Parts: sequence; C-alpha cells; structure tokens
Amino acid sequence: MLAKRIQPMVFQARRLYVELMFQVMGRALQAVSEIDAAVQKEARGLPEGFLFEMMVMPDGSRFIVEHIGDGRFHYHGDSAPRETDLSIQFKHIAHAFLVLSFQEKTSVAFANDRMLVDGDISYAIRMTRILNRLETFILPKLVAQRAVKEYPSNLHLPEKLLSAARIYLKVASNFVDTVRA
Amino acid sequence: MTNQYYEFFCPVKVIAGKAALEHIPYELTGLGAKRPMIVTDKGVRAAGLLDPVLAACEESGLEIISIYDDVPPDSSTGVVKDIAGIYRREKCDSLIAVGGGSAIDTAKAVNILVSEGGDNIAEYSGAGIIKHPLKPFLVVPTTAGTGSEVTSVAVITDTAKSVKLPFTSSFLLPNAAVIDPRMTLTLPPHITAATAMDAMTHATEAFTCMAKNPLSDAYATAAIKKISQSLLKVMDNPKDSDNRLELAQASTMAGIAFSNSMVGLVHALGHATGAICHLPHGLCMSLYLPYVLEYNLETIRGPLGELLLYLEGPEVYAATPGNRRAEASISALRKLRDELFKRCKLPRTLKETGSVEEHQLDTIAELAMDDGSMMFNPKEVTLEDARAVLKKAWA
Repeated sequence: MLAKRIQPMVFQARRLYVELMFQVMGRALQAVSEIDAAVQKEARGLPEGFLFEMMVMPDGSRFIVEHIGDGRFHYHGDSAPRETDLSIQFKHIAHAFLVLSFQEKTSVAFANDRMLVDGDISYAIRMTRILNRLETFILPKLVAQRAVKEYPSNLHLPEKLLSAARIYLKVASNFVDTVRA
Repeated sequence: MTNQYYEFFCPVKVIAGKAALEHIPYELTGLGAKRPMIVTDKGVRAAGLLDPVLAACEESGLEIISIYDDVPPDSSTGVVKDIAGIYRREKCDSLIAVGGGSAIDTAKAVNILVSEGGDNIAEYSGAGIIKHPLKPFLVVPTTAGTGSEVTSVAVITDTAKSVKLPFTSSFLLPNAAVIDPRMTLTLPPHITAATAMDAMTHATEAFTCMAKNPLSDAYATAAIKKISQSLLKVMDNPKDSDNRLELAQASTMAGIAFSNSMVGLVHALGHATGAICHLPHGLCMSLYLPYVLEYNLETIRGPLGELLLYLEGPEVYAATPGNRRAEASISALRKLRDELFKRCKLPRTLKETGSVEEHQLDTIAELAMDDGSMMFNPKEVTLEDARAVLKKAWA
C-alpha cells in the first residue's frame, strides 16, 4: 500500500534526476571541449554544425549540443535549432536512469539494447568516446569505473582534479548565465 | 539480482539439408506468392547453381517470372532501383535471393522499394525506418560464411555520394533461408576457407564480446564445433556434401549468434581493411582473429577458455589445465589457419596478402576506431592499441 503511494514520487524523482543529469552533461560537454585537447581532437572529426542529441523516448528529457568548429561544442539546452544529425535515444526513462546513476555502463547499455542510435553510427562511436572522456574527468574514479568500459591508466590524479575543477566551474557559470537570462 | 538483460530475435524459418531447394515452391505458395523474381549474380549463374533452383520450381509448376543475374560484388542504389523497376514491370509478388552477401543485401533493399514504394532506396536508410512487413522473401545462400540470410541488415553503396548506406530493420529478415549442400559444393577452396573463417569469427566474437547472451552462446558454440570438425574435411574433399552442409549450417548458426550479440575488434579492423585495401571480408576475419583474441585475452579468458571444448574436442579440453585453455583456444585457431595456408595459401598475415602496404596500417587503425563494432569489443580500444594489433598482424 505504502509502496503504491510513494511510487509516483519515485517516478517523479527519477525524471527530475535524469533531467538534471542531462543538463549537467550538456553543459559539461561544452566545458570539456573548451579545455581538453583529446576531446577537441575527437570532436574535430565531426562536421561543423553537427547537432548531437541524447534523449529519452518517446518525448522525454533531452539535451542537444552542436559542434561549432575546431573541436568546440555549444550547449543548446533541450531544443534543437534544426533537425539533429545524431540522436542517441534511451528506450525508457528507467534505462536512462540505470546509465546516469552509473548502475550500467554506457557500453553495456548499448550492448543490452537499452538505447537506439538514429544517425551515422561512426559519429555515435566518436561521441561515446567523448562522453567517456568527460565521465573520467568529472566523476570520482570509483564511480567512473562503473560508467566507462575501461578507466584510462594514463589519467593521473592532478590532471583529473584540475580538469574536473575547470569543467565544474564552467558548468556552474553556464547554469548561472541560464538562470540570469 | 544482476543487471543482466538481453534480447534475442530470429524469426527466419531455416530449411536445411538434402533436397531443401525442392521446398521453395511449397514455402512460397504458403506465403501466398505465385510470381517470384530471382536476384542473383553472373558467377552463380555461370557455376550452374541456378539450375537446381529453377528445376525445383518448374517441377512443382511454379513459374519464375523474372531473373536478374547482374548483381555486382558491391551493390549500388542504381542496381536496386533497376531491379525494383523490373519487379514492378513484370508484376512479381515475391523475391528469391540466390548468392552471397551482395545478392542477398541487394534483394533485401529491392524488397524495401517494392513493398514500401518509391525509387530512391536512400530514403529508407537507417534504423527503424521500415514499419511494415515486406513482400515474401526467400534466401538461398551459395557461400557458407556471411550469415546474411539471418541478419536484419543490408548495406548498399550510394554511388552518387560515394557512401555506404546501412539499412536495419527486422522486416528485412527473409521468411525462410534455404540451405542446400548442392549450393556450396563447387565453391573454390580459397573461398571455402575464407568464408568458413568468416563464420568462425562471427561465432567467436559473438561468444566473447559484450552483448553475448545464453541463446546466442548456444548457436555460437554449435557453429564453432561444426566448423572445427568439418572445414579441413571439406578442404581435403570438396565434394563431401555432408560436411559442406555442416559448414553451411554453421554459417547460418553463427549468423544468428552474431546478429543477436554483435561483433568486436576483428570486424572493426576487417571493415577498415576491406574499405582501404579491398581485401575480401572473410580473409580479413581469418587474418585478424588470433591477434585480436590475444589483445582481448585478459578480458575474455573465461569464455575463450570454454571455446576450447568446441575447437579441439573433449579430450584436449579435459587434458588442458583451466588456466591454459584460453591460450590453447588461440593456438587451435592458429593451427587451423596454418592448415588452411598449407591447403590453399589463405594468408595468415597482412604481408602474406600482398595487397596491403605497411604505411597503410595507420589509416586502417584510424578508420577502425569509428566502426560500430568497436562499441561491443570487451576491451576499450585506443588508437595505439589498434595500431599495435595491426603491427602484430603485419608479419
């Protein structure tokens, strides 16, 4: 009985969590593309003006980033200025929650058919590498190990901490800018 | 409770064995089809492989309305449009693909156009675009390797834009796959070896990559056992129809396995090598398989060790200590490649192919990094890792 009563609240909390995580990821993608050479190198392989979306099917939370050239991303929030070029779609919010709460690695979610790729698969692979790189920076090592297939052995604590601090600072100032606007 | 989850789907009716071709008329009639069109290539026709198919239909009073026998090895949007035009003009109502990967993929694409309408197949490119069942469609494979008869994917080249268009939908799967030993009996030794190693790689990667699941595991192990037991027998006696049938079935089983659990780095490198150096897909698979297994070894030690039972049999498996079985599986595959080299000079290294130059390795590695199969490789592959594997496979 009690479980039945709190279930809507659990669903609401899950939806809010996914929405918040998408907002953080979108902003963090923009931030990491401004500070990390490896991410910039990967992103340069995407066409200029390339729009990437990650969303929950059928019409749930989403974030969109655009490759604005030279390996830099721009976060567009949850609305795309035109049709997206690549969309990674979680089949259900429960699946998005599994990944975004680090109970299931992104690669495992792909293997488990939790997500669909709409667009060029080679760009999806590239974006996944960028997301993995981002996660290794912004998550504590123990959590990041649950999020990515393999934690990079050449990423040492000083680089990780410095990069994480710069990314979080940029994410925070982007949030503030959004609120002010 | 674990997070384990998987999906498995294969609605294709498999019709396999002696006189399987003679089931085609019954199957088509059962699907309400009376005016079939055959899609094939010149090689298949020249080898006389179409004759038993035509005879089987004729004997049952089923008229083949049209035969298109000019599918090129790398099929294009133009070819698909032409065939769809003939299909409509002749008022056909079903398709039979007779051939290897290219003929089968072409027929899948033709089926989209004639079922969904239009002339531009590129409009249907991507995943999940097709929402309705297509026209009745049968596949008669003439190689034992690709597994295309049980996969829901087709790849067609858009010649105008010079890109390969992927089509993915469960509706692309044929209604039935007809596996008859007569169709692979005349396959030359070199192609027999390469295509069988393609199937071996499908099964091995299906069993060791990230999307493995209990159902695909069963198909993969059964396929590996059949290939290990039959391939060299067929190489020594190409007219051995029993073992030809074993290989053909193994190819279909490996196809079912990998289309439900995907493949990994061997395929990523193989696709890139095929695109840059134009080497046959099966050859690339045979070439890279042991090197990639060595690279992935510590991540796949358990499942790879299990494969020894199917590669070498129960005696060798029992006599090999548990912690040495994974290495023994790789040795078994190397031994098989050596035997194939002895029998038909199937290259074991990139250098032996004579078609790859060492300076191309970096380009191959870079292209492989963006291949979709990379996602399912059990180990995270960096560009340096891919280069290192290629270097080992060089000579």
